[in-house]
Amino acid sequence: MENALLIGLSRQSALERQIDVIANNIANVNTAGYKSDSTLFETYLNTPAHEDNFVGSDRRVNFVQDRGTYRDMTQGPTQETRNPLDVAIDGSAFLVVQTPQGERYTRDGNLHINNIGQLVTAAGNPILGTSGPIVFQPTDHDINITPDGAVTVVTGTSNTDSLRGALRLVSFPDAQKMLKEGLNLYAAGEGGTPAPDTKSTVRQGFIEQSNVNAVSEMSRMMEVSRAYTQIATLMQQQAELQKTAIQSLADVPT
Amino acid sequence: MQALHTAATGMAAQELSVQVISNNIANLQTTGYKKQTAEFQDLIYQHIARVGAQASQQGTILPIGIDIGGGVKVVGTPRSMTQGTLSQTGNDLDLAINGEGFFKIQMPDGTFQYTRDGTFQMDNTGRIVNAQGNPVQPTITIPQNSTGLTVNAQGQVSVQPQGASSTTSQIIGQLTVTRFVNKGGLLPVGNNNFVDTPSSGTPQDGIATLEGYGSISQGSLENANVDVVSEMSNLIAAQRAYEMNAKVITAADQMMQSTTALFR
Repeated sequence: MENALLIGLSRQSALERQIDVIANNIANVNTAGYKSDSTLFETYLNTPAHEDNFVGSDRRVNFVQDRGTYRDMTQGPTQETRNPLDVAIDGSAFLVVQTPQGERYTRDGNLHINNIGQLVTAAGNPILGTSGPIVFQPTDHDINITPDGAVTVVTGTSNTDSLRGALRLVSFPDAQKMLKEGLNLYAAGEGGTPAPDTKSTVRQGFIEQSNVNAVSEMSRMMEVSRAYTQIATLMQQQAELQKTAIQSLADVPT
Repeated sequence: MQALHTAATGMAAQELSVQVISNNIANLQTTGYKKQTAEFQDLIYQHIARVGAQASQQGTILPIGIDIGGGVKVVGTPRSMTQGTLSQTGNDLDLAINGEGFFKIQMPDGTFQYTRDGTFQMDNTGRIVNAQGNPVQPTITIPQNSTGLTVNAQGQVSVQPQGASSTTSQIIGQLTVTRFVNKGGLLPVGNNNFVDTPSSGTPQDGIATLEGYGSISQGSLENANVDVVSEMSNLIAAQRAYEMNAKVITAADQMMQSTTALFR
């Protein structure tokens, strides 16, 4: 009889984790370059408690377990910002960011220039080009980023473009293995090696928005909330059942 | 339940985003105003099952892990320093910079502030000053009773002195413009002014139209670079995101309520 409670509990803890994932997706519905997560469940077969003789020993009970979170790596919608330092990546590539912990990867194209002229992320970490950080000179203006990632500027009064570097675009054969680190950064993850990506293109003046589908997240949230309440009711009924059983079976006739 | 706190971070971030957007809309008609945007980043993740961890002694590894994110934060409200459109005013002392650079203003305490707002006036001593009465650098004094004030694209200020023939013009000064390596790193101090910070780099004074400095156009003012349509759509997006986060709190609250109901 305890099994129903325990199975209900396994479902509830899985649902709790699922609503945490949904809450994080919704919190990041406007975060540039964010990739939505979803939870995967699996059944976990177990033999029923042996001390309990109410169920036949040939039947097994199905617990539910969350097996993992799956990342939707599809491209998010792009929004035009007309800011010359905003880039959106068309394709599966990532920008390479130099952090104190080593190389990290991002899809967030909100770029800036720091006090020494380097191209950096919003958190101030340099963006790596094919040959190290991209550095602008004080007299540079009219920054242009070509679809293949070359960064050119017009410097001083000259009329010709000078090259300041090229954005390094890399992709991973198995992007699921990448590890979300927060701050819109990904670590390469176990065994992941970045390979240069020549198929992806860069679009200047655009930002890749979060790929969270707000409507489906909301409906999933309602589903989770209802399922959780259902299980709670079920557990309550189960407790009621036990109570009644104990009361009527242990009823001492007066 | 983490979901409650995660949704709270989402609401806080969207609230800040609405603040930034409303400030942009409020400054729609402010000369030389540069719009801001709120930039978001996801918070750190709790790796409950780390992807790529060993799944068996045979060396198989987990293809996916369990990552639970903690929500969102605003990482910054950077300013978009793009050029605003110019509108003609016909006023002699209305100046706009077309391209890179800022006007340099000397404050009463001797420090310098920088602005794209070229609404200048003449004060009682003939100096060219901004709306707060602080002189534009270098200080230029317009001689009394002179006429035909002209500021050319390089920032040379010339007048026709009193009593001189209409063809003579006398150069009375040269305005400088100031550039920064990272103009996005300037600190706004109100009154359309900015001050330099360690992030902006040191100010570099120069002459307009030379070495990448923009040109000065007399008789026009730079409009705010706020794009109303995109601000409105951003406002809708932020408001809806806020509402959705509020819904998550309601859902998480309901779940907790049903749990507490067990102990009645």
